[in-house]
Amino acid sequence: METVINDYISRELVQDPALLPLADEASLLESGILDSLSLLRLVVYLEERFGITMGDTDLLPENFASVNTICAYVRARMPGKQEAARG
Amino acid sequence: MGDGRVERLLRSGEGVAYWGAAAPALARLPAALGYRIACARGDWLFRCRVGERTELARNLRQVLGELSPAAVQQVTRDWYRLASCEAVDVNRLRHGARPLRRLVEIQGREHLEAALAAGKGAILCTGHFGSCNSGFSVLHASGFPVTSIGRWWYNYTAGMSHAVSSAERWFWDRFYARPLRRHRQRPNIEPWPGRVEVAALAAAAVRANEVVTIAIDAPPLDGDRARAVEVPFLGRRAGLLPGVVTLAQLSGAPVLTGFLYRSADYRHQVLEISPPVPVDGETATAFGRCAAAVSAAIRRSPAHWEVWANTRDLVGLGLIPPQREAATASMSPRSTRCTRSAGSRSRSGRLITDSTRRSRTLPCWR
Repeated sequence: METVINDYISRELVQDPALLPLADEASLLESGILDSLSLLRLVVYLEERFGITMGDTDLLPENFASVNTICAYVRARMPGKQEAARG
Repeated sequence: MGDGRVERLLRSGEGVAYWGAAAPALARLPAALGYRIACARGDWLFRCRVGERTELARNLRQVLGELSPAAVQQVTRDWYRLASCEAVDVNRLRHGARPLRRLVEIQGREHLEAALAAGKGAILCTGHFGSCNSGFSVLHASGFPVTSIGRWWYNYTAGMSHAVSSAERWFWDRFYARPLRRHRQRPNIEPWPGRVEVAALAAAAVRANEVVTIAIDAPPLDGDRARAVEVPFLGRRAGLLPGVVTLAQLSGAPVLTGFLYRSADYRHQVLEISPPVPVDGETATAFGRCAAAVSAAIRRSPAHWEVWANTRDLVGLGLIPPQREAATASMSPRSTRCTRSAGSRSRSGRLITDSTRRSRTLPCWR
């Protein structure tokens, strides 16, 4: 999952090539990779890719601080079997 | 105590008296009388605020060069009248929406109904135009679940020449925000700097098949300038944030435009809602259609646009060259305060910051 999400962020959301390669623990907010609209793009992607639904209360900066925290959040939202099926 | 501080206090006192005492009383009078008195207050402001009036007229001529001197004076006077009438609008919402609702006709509601019937919500694109906040509250009270993207101006203190006291916050929340907020589906989605969840919250609202309003004519904050796109706007190229298009493309919600026009009797208003604006294709092209709609509304009724007295915002939009702002500032101490310190008065007497207008629901908030 880390690789999938890291690839998406690196490919679609990172505007400054100097920030690549993107470490899984790198701060997405402090580096400016995630702003309001790129977060929306990411949310749409995560919902489609992993079959989860994010509610208003899930849109906390700490859930999107890094690739690692995003993965932890998505895993917590996913039923275990779904994750295995999606690989 | 300097003259500027005295003047600011006097204006503040007048604004507080008008919004806190006079406008609530006017809202209880028969509409014809209440709005006539509000217009008289607007005329009084027009006569008293010489420096601001002069700056406003200069900005009008600079941007809409085709206006005759008589037209400029008429627009300037109307600008003050509309601001005073807005206070009556807001106060007519304090005890339910009906007193204002019967003065506002909604044209094009079938477009909004058709959009919501598709189940993907709707985005109502507008500008800092007329009493749009009151209009959106009326729209909500008419059966459409409305949420606005925009800041309550009094919560935004960055760059202001003096702090907004807790008493001021209480006052404006009580007399301005609360009546509007009563008639909204959700609290305003406020795009504070660093608040990254704004677009996702807006997407959540349209996914719930609600109406989200966005004013697109605010100059970008410094941190957002890289995301701005240049589009034709009022005869020039303006740098604006195309978030409305991105939100529409990602959520599938259609974009409609909505503008609230006040009629010649000053008490009746018409909220005109357009059919959906195409948002497919390149972002800049699609956003250009939205900007063209706002531009056309301003040209049709210039007095309705709030931004005319805010030179700094006009410069930020690219409608007035920066050197003229500097020249204006050097000529007029008052203009210096308005354009440099980022603390100025709105046309209705409320204290605003230049940043207030940026991404506000309008004023959010004048």
